[in-house]
Amino acid sequence: MTFLIPCPDCGPREVTEFSFGGESGRRPGPDEPVAALARYLYVRRNVSGEQEEWWFHRDGCRAWLVARRDTRSNRISSAVRPVERTPAAP
Amino acid sequence: MSPHRLPPAPGERIDRTRTLAFTLDGTPLEGLGGDTVGSAMAAAGITITGRSFKYHRPRGLMCAAGACANCLVTVDGVPNVRACTAPLRAGMRVRRQNAWPSAERDAGAVFDRLSFAMPAGFYYKVGQHPRFLWPLAEPLVRRVAGLGPPPSAPALDAEKVHLHPDVLVVGGGPAGLAAAAEAARAGARTMLVEQAADLGDGLAGGGAEVEDLAREAVAARAEILTSTAVFGAFEGPLLAAAGPGRLLGIRSAQTVFATGAIEQPAVFPNNDLPGVMLCGAVGRLLRHRVLPGRRAVVWTSDARGYAAAAALLEAGAAVTVVDGRPVVLGPEAEAARAAGARLVAGATVRRAIGRRRVEAVEVGTGGGAPPQRLACDLLVIAGFRMPSTSLLAQAGARLRHDPGAGWFLAAELPPGMHQAGDVTGLRTLEAAVAQGRLAGLAAAAAALVDAGSGDASRRAELEAAASGRPLSSPPPPPLGAGEGKQFACLCMDVTDKEMRQAIAEGFDSIELLKRYTTLSMGPCQSKACMWSSIRLCALMTGRTEAQTGTPTARPPWSPVPLGILAAGRPHPRKETALHDRHADAGAEFMWAGDWRRPHHYAAPADECAAVHERVAVIDVSTLGKLRVRGRQAVELLERLYPNRFGDMRVGQIRYGLMLKDDGVILDDGTVCRLGEDEFFVTTTSGGTEAIEQWMEWWLADWNLDVRVLNVSAAYAAINIAGPRSRSLMERICDLDVSARGLPYLRTARGRVAGVESLILRIGFVGELGYEIHIPSACAEHLWDRVMEAGADLGIVPFGVEAQRILRLEKQHILVGQDTDALSDPYGAAMTWIVKLDKPDFLGRRMLLELAERGPQERLVGFVVEDSGTVPPEGAAVVEGERPVGRVTSSRYSAVAGAAIGLAWVPVASAEEGRVLELGFDGRRARARVALRPFVDPEGARVRS
Repeated sequence: MTFLIPCPDCGPREVTEFSFGGESGRRPGPDEPVAALARYLYVRRNVSGEQEEWWFHRDGCRAWLVARRDTRSNRISSAVRPVERTPAAP
Repeated sequence: MSPHRLPPAPGERIDRTRTLAFTLDGTPLEGLGGDTVGSAMAAAGITITGRSFKYHRPRGLMCAAGACANCLVTVDGVPNVRACTAPLRAGMRVRRQNAWPSAERDAGAVFDRLSFAMPAGFYYKVGQHPRFLWPLAEPLVRRVAGLGPPPSAPALDAEKVHLHPDVLVVGGGPAGLAAAAEAARAGARTMLVEQAADLGDGLAGGGAEVEDLAREAVAARAEILTSTAVFGAFEGPLLAAAGPGRLLGIRSAQTVFATGAIEQPAVFPNNDLPGVMLCGAVGRLLRHRVLPGRRAVVWTSDARGYAAAAALLEAGAAVTVVDGRPVVLGPEAEAARAAGARLVAGATVRRAIGRRRVEAVEVGTGGGAPPQRLACDLLVIAGFRMPSTSLLAQAGARLRHDPGAGWFLAAELPPGMHQAGDVTGLRTLEAAVAQGRLAGLAAAAAALVDAGSGDASRRAELEAAASGRPLSSPPPPPLGAGEGKQFACLCMDVTDKEMRQAIAEGFDSIELLKRYTTLSMGPCQSKACMWSSIRLCALMTGRTEAQTGTPTARPPWSPVPLGILAAGRPHPRKETALHDRHADAGAEFMWAGDWRRPHHYAAPADECAAVHERVAVIDVSTLGKLRVRGRQAVELLERLYPNRFGDMRVGQIRYGLMLKDDGVILDDGTVCRLGEDEFFVTTTSGGTEAIEQWMEWWLADWNLDVRVLNVSAAYAAINIAGPRSRSLMERICDLDVSARGLPYLRTARGRVAGVESLILRIGFVGELGYEIHIPSACAEHLWDRVMEAGADLGIVPFGVEAQRILRLEKQHILVGQDTDALSDPYGAAMTWIVKLDKPDFLGRRMLLELAERGPQERLVGFVVEDSGTVPPEGAAVVEGERPVGRVTSSRYSAVAGAAIGLAWVPVASAEEGRVLELGFDGRRARARVALRPFVDPEGARVRS
């Protein structure tokens, strides 16, 4: 895995500077059934294609960002600060 | 002067004014400035550069270009250095490899006669049956086979560099230099990397042209890196290169591959004898003014061979040219004849003869005529030059067999990639330069937004010069004839016979043949055997070369020292601001994650006694320290922790336990409320980074108005503990530190030793204690002041070992030591922390579930009945023969008078006084459950 992530703070940087935070998910609310929590905790969509992911710029600005990455090509189509992200499709 | 050194000549690469002394296997030798280790050895008359991998056959310089692996030597303890390209330095200690007692007379040469015992697929057959013999055979095989020994010196201290040029040119021959010059002139930031120390090193002639092109490229501001080998193309594309002491990761917008062509040896009996050399090696040795042989046979079918013959004649050697073509015409041949060369036309070399170096060759002229024997001490092979497409293939180019070029060429290039020169099929110098210029122009145009398309008429001119078919000359026959081993792969000692045998066994695809025989898997990485192995595989399977195909190209294309690959991944070693004080106090250090921490200064039991009876101090600077500030700071903490914080008053401290959403304990620490909207949070030493990242993550997701600042390095911290700690604090602190002034679990800002500090009254070690957080720069000042002011109170420093005993006496858990990936607060007996009535916090939903089910296991304290036994951490709690739990911490406690510890046990066993049976090291011990701390169970001392 060798690609660049365009950090919104630092510009394009080596992926090795970042920590992977996993595919983005929606944390279930306090009253949702425990099955929803189990899905959130243990089940991954494992998309073949573009997905939204968390990345932490560990060796840079030490901020989290949300990137859209194609899991087949590792092409990143966008990387934004979490507040700027568009709501994920359901 | 060495008898093998020729008189001075213009353009020579040596500096005769500098003599460099070195040793070879302990024997003192001399070389000259500009020599390589290999040329200096040759000048000293050394023809054997080492012994081969499997059969221990003598080997000598063959390519002298760093392509083959014949001349690997150990230099100053560093193994597998290519003698032919390593510059000679004064004082070098060079050792030849894989030979005992010496490379000249090697006992291992007996394996050459035992080759019948080493069939193809040796690794899968020999020593495997009967199985019990393999452990006996393996050490012998390991000792006898292989290359240089691993270095005893520490790994290279290499650095990693990331480069982002617009245009990268791989290869510093004429095509590469022309491409770099054009691209740089068009305004692209251009970088050229060349694996050899000199530009144009792969070239037989054309030195002046290369110099002109290099000047042109430098004038256009192309950056040129020599001695830097691109060894792999990875996703991205990222090209990885190894240079002296550094690893380069190069991401270029456009890449020009001008990787040239590699001279190939021919396959015939004894083709590995020292003195059998490739044409380019002769040129290189002559440039170092070393005569590689006095009676040379040059085997060729084209002009390159005649050029080498002419150079040898000029240097004073007797030369016979063996030409495969039946009719030899052309000016080169005439010139060679005129200069005194003997010419044998329509002939091929069938086999070489000799024991420790080539002594003669047998030449066949075909048509049933008996072979001729030509005495010689040098056989020069000017045969096929294989376009070096491997890096292109790694980068994703599709290779296709080109009948005109006689080899596989890159037919489809991925976007952003260009090729020029001999890699496209062998070219004339003029065509290679024109191709290079066109590739440079195309790369610059693609890399730059504002680049023009250039001068159309010049372009047309270049295109005309670059066009045309690749050059070709008839290749030598794929095999020779007669007695002796014919090596297809010199690195791994694979012969034609072994290939035939492997194919007979069914390994008849090139990929399988490679894996089964280890053909082309040696240190040359197929540079010197790819052509032969594919030709032979095709011949032996009755397929064409195109059908046979090439094995998948994989990194590394050039060998890279592991120390270079490890560059950029330093193992951090952290020291606190008080490290020197600990060292001065005689501390024995231990690793705690990346930290070096004092394990103990004196006997840990004495340090514990000091804490219980007097006063002692420990450096706790390794704690993670986070400042959490903002309008919604309370909100953030309420959501992050199961604890409640909203009701905390300013100046109050609470123990905090952090959970993940699956209810598992993540970390613990203290939370101090410094203001309405400001908290100071400590984390475990090992959890600092992760917790900062964790907090930032949720902060990003929840988008709360809070800032988290990691101040771990900015503050040092010490913990002063023991009944006399208050007396000490009274002497050095300007606050009222009495039980009323600063009660247990309260924090205050004050001056300690005259420095603004944060003082926390907490009691991890179970006695009255003060934790002082102070700017790191003042840490040593504080430490000195504490030791001075506490001297008459009997103060001593204590280390991590004592702290572990003390906290165990108090039954305080260590997250990660006493908890694992399944530990929740109910099992860890910290139900009191969990406030399920809060609307939400991380882990709440899961804890609701767990509360309903009840825990299966509980963490309990225990005391061992037999006072002499300390069960190891990890000991099993057993019921009969069944393990039902495990010991996570255990130490001998003087206070308890026995070993104490913490263990996970079934809930049914978690009763005060219950007997536990512990199993370890084949022994058993009895222990009793103790649910209350061994020291100060009421907490009176910490509150005092």
